[in-house]
Amino acid sequence: MPVLAAQSLTKTYRMGEVSVTALDDVDFAVERGEFVAIMGPSGSGKSTLLHLLGGLDFPTSGEVFLNDLPIFKLSDDELTELRRRKVGFIFQFYNLLPTLNAAENVGLPVLIDGQPLRRERARIDDLLTLVGLGDRVDHKPDQLSGGQQQRVAIARAFVNQPEIVLADEPTGNLDSRSSTAILELLRSTCRELGATIVMVTHDPRAASFADRVVFLKDGRIVHTLTNGAGGIPVAEIVDVMTRLEL
Amino acid sequence: MFAVAFLARRNLSAHRGRTLLTLLGIVLGVAVVLATQVTNQTTLDSLYEVFDRATGQASLLIVPVNKERQPLNQELLAKAARVKGVEIAAPILQARTLPASEAGSWQIAFSMTGVAAGNFFDLTGIDPELDPQVRVYPLTSGRMPRPAKYEVIVPASYADKKNLRIGDKLELLAKDQPARLEIVGLLADEGVAMINDGAVGFAPLQVVQDLFDRAGELDEISLKVSRQLTENPAMLEAYKQQLATRLGEGVRIVYPAARGQLVGQMLATYQLGLTFFSIIAIFVGAFLIYNAFSMTVVERTREIGMLRAIGLSRRQVMQMVLAEAGLLSLAGSALGLGAGYWLAQVLVRMLVNLTPNSGNIHDVPPAIILQSLAIGIGVTLVAALIPAMQAARITPLEALRARSRSLGRLSPLYWIAGLVLLFIGWLITYRIVWPMEVIYFAGYASLVCYFLGATLTVSLAVNLLEGFTRPLSRRIYGNEGAIGSANIRRALGRTTLTVASLMVALTMIISIQSLAFSFKSDVQDWIDNSLGGDLYVRAALPMRESFAKQLLSVPGVSAITPIRVIDVQVAQGSLAADPESNDQFFFQAIDPASFLQVGNMKFAANQGDPAQNWKRLTQGQAVFVSSSVADRYNLRQGDTVTLLTRRGEKPFYIAAEVVDFTGQSQMFYGAYADLRNLFNAQGVDRFAIAIDPTFSVEGVMQEIKDRFQKSHNISLQSTVAFRNSILDLMNQSFRLFDVLGLIGVIIGGLGVINTLTMNIIERQREIGGLRSLGMTRRQVLKMVLAEALGLGLMGGLYGILVGTMIANVAIIGTNMMIGYDLVYRFTSSPYLISVLIALGAVQLAAISPARRAARLNIVDAIKHE
Ligand SMILES: Nc1ncnc2c1ncn2[C@@H]1O[C@H](COP(=O)(O)OP(=O)(O)OP(=O)(O)O)[C@@H](O)[C@H]1O
Ligand SMILES: [Mg+2]
Repeated sequence: MPVLAAQSLTKTYRMGEVSVTALDDVDFAVERGEFVAIMGPSGSGKSTLLHLLGGLDFPTSGEVFLNDLPIFKLSDDELTELRRRKVGFIFQFYNLLPTLNAAENVGLPVLIDGQPLRRERARIDDLLTLVGLGDRVDHKPDQLSGGQQQRVAIARAFVNQPEIVLADEPTGNLDSRSSTAILELLRSTCRELGATIVMVTHDPRAASFADRVVFLKDGRIVHTLTNGAGGIPVAEIVDVMTRLEL
Repeated sequence: MFAVAFLARRNLSAHRGRTLLTLLGIVLGVAVVLATQVTNQTTLDSLYEVFDRATGQASLLIVPVNKERQPLNQELLAKAARVKGVEIAAPILQARTLPASEAGSWQIAFSMTGVAAGNFFDLTGIDPELDPQVRVYPLTSGRMPRPAKYEVIVPASYADKKNLRIGDKLELLAKDQPARLEIVGLLADEGVAMINDGAVGFAPLQVVQDLFDRAGELDEISLKVSRQLTENPAMLEAYKQQLATRLGEGVRIVYPAARGQLVGQMLATYQLGLTFFSIIAIFVGAFLIYNAFSMTVVERTREIGMLRAIGLSRRQVMQMVLAEAGLLSLAGSALGLGAGYWLAQVLVRMLVNLTPNSGNIHDVPPAIILQSLAIGIGVTLVAALIPAMQAARITPLEALRARSRSLGRLSPLYWIAGLVLLFIGWLITYRIVWPMEVIYFAGYASLVCYFLGATLTVSLAVNLLEGFTRPLSRRIYGNEGAIGSANIRRALGRTTLTVASLMVALTMIISIQSLAFSFKSDVQDWIDNSLGGDLYVRAALPMRESFAKQLLSVPGVSAITPIRVIDVQVAQGSLAADPESNDQFFFQAIDPASFLQVGNMKFAANQGDPAQNWKRLTQGQAVFVSSSVADRYNLRQGDTVTLLTRRGEKPFYIAAEVVDFTGQSQMFYGAYADLRNLFNAQGVDRFAIAIDPTFSVEGVMQEIKDRFQKSHNISLQSTVAFRNSILDLMNQSFRLFDVLGLIGVIIGGLGVINTLTMNIIERQREIGGLRSLGMTRRQVLKMVLAEALGLGLMGGLYGILVGTMIANVAIIGTNMMIGYDLVYRFTSSPYLISVLIALGAVQLAAISPARRAARLNIVDAIKHE
């Protein structure tokens, strides 16, 4: 049973006369523990798909099921709670709260869930150690580098033990060394915490860390690459990309 | 909520600058409200004291319709005292008598001059316990008489003249035999001691009733009514009429002569101005708070979007913003109370010579403190509510946008709502007739409508105005000026907030100053014209008209005019009033030709050519009526009123409406010819004299005294002192408005600094971007200053327009509330101040934010967090 499934997802943006179909009848499923990468040219609908999967936006038609629960049938409050407890987000621009230190930023979802941070302190420290920031617990975001901030954001995404973690170009702003570290971190976290990850990326090297790569073009899934053992050769991805004129 | 409170607290402490600006807004709002209320109270108390000392505290008198035939029954006293609103009912019985020692000479004095009455002694029966609460008895020595004892107090000057001392007996002619009253106190020459030119004494009521065989009779009952009523002339007038019906036939309710409408209107206008100011203060405070919070929300759009993405619900977002508001409002209100108290002390000290007593603030009533607190907390929460709702509407997607949304677009709903509010305001002011009970509320509601409406329509005007201001910005600040000016149009929401805060400040200055100026010049006009003449010559009995020639022969007297006032009755059915009403009217005879040499009449609005009006009056069977009579009986220029004359009922043409501040206003002004021909009366109550400016008023007064006081038993009164005392009083009380205007300037300046600084904070990243593209610090500075220039011009223009409009509305409101005929008068000073603020102060206010922008560290600015 897939932990996350999209069913005939369509998203059309209307702007006056013109309408843009960002997603065109997409079916897509993610199994528990899977690390999936979504690739495609700019404007192909990757971000749109990810937003819909996380319930950040609403589709024109179609449905997303999280553990068989149709999420667009939920009220805004129910959807918010679902995001809080079951979904973790990693943004391209980190989106940390500048007023909180690293540990507090990681603990933010816990806090929002109405639990005191103290109780979760140990787990937060573990997570920060896991992402290699055990010694930066009290640093504010502006005292951290871009890569470090992104690692805080990753730790935050995992703090509530979500069913699924969604990441939109998490390495888009990082150099290749930090990127590699982050991607390895994501893969290992995925393994260690048994989490499921969907990641949007432009970078074939980043995609090669995934178990499966899904290719989008003009709002449709046009190809899929799978490697059960984990890790797809970069050459193979580049090959598909050129073939599809992506 | 734990998370919500935690986040709110963190936000406040992390954004110190912004938090302080917001806090400042709240502190200012609360402080201004508290300070105006306290100052209001304190100065009003002082003003009342001034007037009370001068005129007594009685606001209404009960007098018999016909004094000779049917005096008041003493039972009426208890009845009147029971009426709601009456605080004190003090009886008076007057007996005109003579000192026993002068009984013989009186005959001679009378027959020799034919006019003198100087020897009469007015023995006044009072309640020695109640009366001092209604009138001031300036005892210089001794004490008040005791009830029912044969004791009397007299002016010290009278005692001197008659060689009497405390403990001596004053012998007076009474009904059967001379009465002997022991003198127990002496009065200074002011207030009640001036009655009958000082030939007056005050004894217990019962004693006077006994002596003159008038048991159970009264001549007059003075009523002190609740302050609520005295503060509002229109309400007092309504109350007076109610009282008349209540007390039944045979009595009339009149205003005491000294405490004319002028006093009531002056106090009421004054208080209205102050209340008006506190409403504006609340509005400005609310606006600053709202401004700060919406900027906060805009600035944090991304942040809030992210919080929404990771699971903060809409309600929690709203709670978070409101929790911030709550914390700030508590702190701000507490600080505001302290600041307000301090401000009130400064204000009161600035007014210190208003009266000796106004130097210190009486206790601040808890009600005012509670009110200010409620306003501080309530207004903050309400002002934060809209931004909080905006924040709750932010979608999680906002977090994923590369650039945070700016307060760029504004829904047209805003300006539509603004137009609707303006329309409602217009309806309230011009279209709906409000009952007395809610008229104050309606007046304030209309003001709030205008303010809010004008604020909301700013967005509509910005595009248009920017077209005009851009060339100017370019000329002064070059290309950067053009970029800055364009920013104005780009971020319409932000522009609206800044322009509106400037507009509100200017509106406050212009409307308050204009209102005060209009009222002041109105009174001044009246003082200059209607009070005509520099000197009055009076006598207790009418003087001969030919006496004028003698007076004119005194060097320095340049013109003289006679005035005579007689009772007059209006023919039944002639006026649109209840035929049973026993309204009392007076006919004041003037001699138009000489009157115009000495003074003038102040015509009401729209009365046509004054020369024509005077000409008509001279032709006879014509009168001028005072505005309040005209209003009450619905008389207009060109109507006729029928008066009972000695020749029967005669129609009188109403030649004009005139404004009269002092009289009880039941006055018809007519020509002397009519007095003689139709009323068979003659003589002069008072001569008004104009004095050649090269002579001193005192010198001429002395000369007249020397020549005529003995033979004609006249008393002289210089209007110079009176005029100056009124002007002084007025200038002092209106100085408060200047002080308040100053606060307006400060609030306006701070408001602009506040919004501009927030603008810069909000645009840090953008400015960083421009700097990274190669814009120099100088250019950034110029750009921000140019933006401020554009905003200043717009706010200035808008403020001047709206301010003038609100000044007019406030005047109409004053007229509605106080029943007064005030016209808007233009005064340039608030406009000059406004231009100075719009151009100069705004540029100054922009310097600090502009420098902040110029100094921005590019790296910090473009960093994402
Ligand atoms: N709010 C919006 N309004 C209108 N059109 C939109 C909106 N958001 C996205 N689109 C359009 O939808 C299409 C898909 O956009 P999406 O952001 O999903 O692309 P993407 O694959 O993430 O591209 P990129 O790799 O550049 O991030 C694009 O053509 C875009 O122009
Ligand atoms: Mg994208």
